[in-house]
Amino acid sequence: MSTAAAIQEMLAGQDYIADRQTAMSIYLAQTLKRPLLIEGPAGVGKTEVAKVRARALDTERNRLQCYEGLAAHTSLYEWNYQRQILHLKLDEKSQRPLAEREADIFADSFLLKRPLLQAITRPKPPVLLIDELDRADEEFESFLLEVLSEWQITIPEIGTIHATHPPYVVLTSNRTRELSDAVRRRCFYLWIDYPEFSKEVEIVRGKIDGIDAQLAEQICRFMELIRLQKLEKVPGVAETLDWARALVALHQHHLDLEVVSDTLGIVFKDQHDVAQVKQSLAEFLEHLGVHAKLAPEREDADAP
Amino acid sequence: MRPEPAIDDLALHGELSANLVGFCRLLRTRGASIGPGEEIDALSALEVIDLKDPQAFRLGLRTTLAKTPEEQARFDEFFDHYWQIWARANELNRPQPNPDRKEATSATLAQPRKAAVTRVREWLKQGDPTEEEREAAGYSPIEVETQRDFKEFNDDESEEIGRLLQAIARALATRLTRRYRPALRPGRLDLRRTLRASLRRGGELVDLAYRRRIRQKPKLVLLCDVSKSMDLYSRFLIQFIYAFQHAYRRIETFVFSTSLHHITPMLKSDDLDKVLDALAAGVPDWSGGTRIGASLSTFLEDHSALVDQQTVLLIVSDGWDTGDIDLLQNSMHALQRRSRCLIWLNPLLGSPEYKPATRGMRAALSYIDLFAPVHNIQSLKDLVRYLSALRGATAVRRPPRRVDPPQPTATEPQDPTVEDWLQRFGVQP
Repeated sequence: MSTAAAIQEMLAGQDYIADRQTAMSIYLAQTLKRPLLIEGPAGVGKTEVAKVRARALDTERNRLQCYEGLAAHTSLYEWNYQRQILHLKLDEKSQRPLAEREADIFADSFLLKRPLLQAITRPKPPVLLIDELDRADEEFESFLLEVLSEWQITIPEIGTIHATHPPYVVLTSNRTRELSDAVRRRCFYLWIDYPEFSKEVEIVRGKIDGIDAQLAEQICRFMELIRLQKLEKVPGVAETLDWARALVALHQHHLDLEVVSDTLGIVFKDQHDVAQVKQSLAEFLEHLGVHAKLAPEREDADAP
Repeated sequence: MRPEPAIDDLALHGELSANLVGFCRLLRTRGASIGPGEEIDALSALEVIDLKDPQAFRLGLRTTLAKTPEEQARFDEFFDHYWQIWARANELNRPQPNPDRKEATSATLAQPRKAAVTRVREWLKQGDPTEEEREAAGYSPIEVETQRDFKEFNDDESEEIGRLLQAIARALATRLTRRYRPALRPGRLDLRRTLRASLRRGGELVDLAYRRRIRQKPKLVLLCDVSKSMDLYSRFLIQFIYAFQHAYRRIETFVFSTSLHHITPMLKSDDLDKVLDALAAGVPDWSGGTRIGASLSTFLEDHSALVDQQTVLLIVSDGWDTGDIDLLQNSMHALQRRSRCLIWLNPLLGSPEYKPATRGMRAALSYIDLFAPVHNIQSLKDLVRYLSALRGATAVRRPPRRVDPPQPTATEPQDPTVEDWLQRFGVQP
């Protein structure tokens, strides 16, 4: 891989519009073989970075979703205990020596590989996505640090497994709690914020085929405006895309009061937010040059 | 592979490293937590990026040096200023086309670095000359975002405060009991349930049942001083009380100035305005005088059932007591004995000059398990960090320390305890 610009192009090839900072962070993480910690509000495409990276590198993606109480063994490996029991049962009558039978049940086929072990045993380095690390406990964080620095996992019955190639690690966090300094130390850091207007238009037009240019711009202006409000759950890019898709499916070419208020549930996932936005909806649309209850001014726009 | 770098690039690189270290130092004096690890990362990043592209240079350093949104903002703030000085100094000393190339290189190599560094020094010195010493102590008086006092905090910060309070509650809530409950995820084997389940399969141990230890959340009792002397902090206090009540379910909240009021029911509403109305109606002596001793003793008389060995007591007060000091001492002693842990948060403790010398504070000090400042976001962060460090098996439990009963003619409480706590929080005594 050559430079940050090449990364940017590579991501664009996968329909991911990355700004220069994103490209630079990925480039450095990749070149210097360091984990990349991505933070930012929900729904701005943090997880998407890992997906797109895997596709662009043409490699597997291993995902470890964190949650409270996530423990070491659920992320590394487990023995398929039930299968081992069955195997012993079936083998009960055989005359083979004990040692041999024991070796049998600790074979690879009884090993359930969990994402971390999977990631280091692949022949080609995969992208390892550790999603929402802030949801896991601090104990898990320190365990993870150990894995991330050693890249080897010891299974008592088998031995130590070394990574052939360390995977490309992407960690994401929604900042529900502060991650430890040790994790930050190990990683390069990328903050992804809500996209700017022009970037969001680009994303919408890139992701949704056949969307009207005027509609895309109106949608993104509306989102830009709405993110300045005090909301319980600020809608992310994911919501923008859902909404845009819905409007396209409804054969809309522009926003109007009726259709916006009918589809608010796609954008806002909180009752309070819907109520709040509905109240001043006419005002918002006025800002976009859409006048409530009047026919659209532009001649080129078809009436619904 | 990269092509062999040109001599010019090498020269540029040498200076860059020196100045990069200077830049890291600058950020550190401005409150960033940049370690040698980050510096090395940034240096290795410089090796793989195109140094002639100013934007790549900036973004590369940004991703390796600034690892929180706050630090990125700080990075952006100082980046241009610092590197413009460097670039200017560099330009002045760029080698003119010189026939005697070798000598010129070594001379120009040393010179511009020196010039740049001295100028940066000068700029650094515009601040406080003792900054570097304070930096070592982990304390910076510079007005960075997190250092701003709650006296002047604004609404935008309330969200962050809420988050920190949740973290505090979380850090407090980690006591493991000796009891177990069934668990769905693998962990400790629950032998009894496993065997019972095996009966259904003719005694074959197929389905394993697990159990886990119960994580017990302690009860929290918050006693908050709302007397006149705390007025400066009252906006923050309301936010603090309100956020805490909503972040943590097992909390009872009281406020006191001259008398004690149980305000938990008034805080239930989701609407802060309604809460404020209820408080205005329910607490007539808000901003009144302070009688901590009397208030605590009322608390002990009327609500002692709330305090047991699972209870963490949080007192927020500046310790200005105009009432009966003996009463304060006796109540504090009783409270400490009854509770699991007694934490006193004092907004004044944030100021380096502050010594807990008021009579009330001194009387109370020897019965406090944790004495900590609460005056800005950073202090809350420190508290979270401190409590998190205590997590695990020990959780927040009182250090094995004998507590002498108060004597009416007691000698003055020992000062070292105060110093200890101050030091724990990185404040130079």
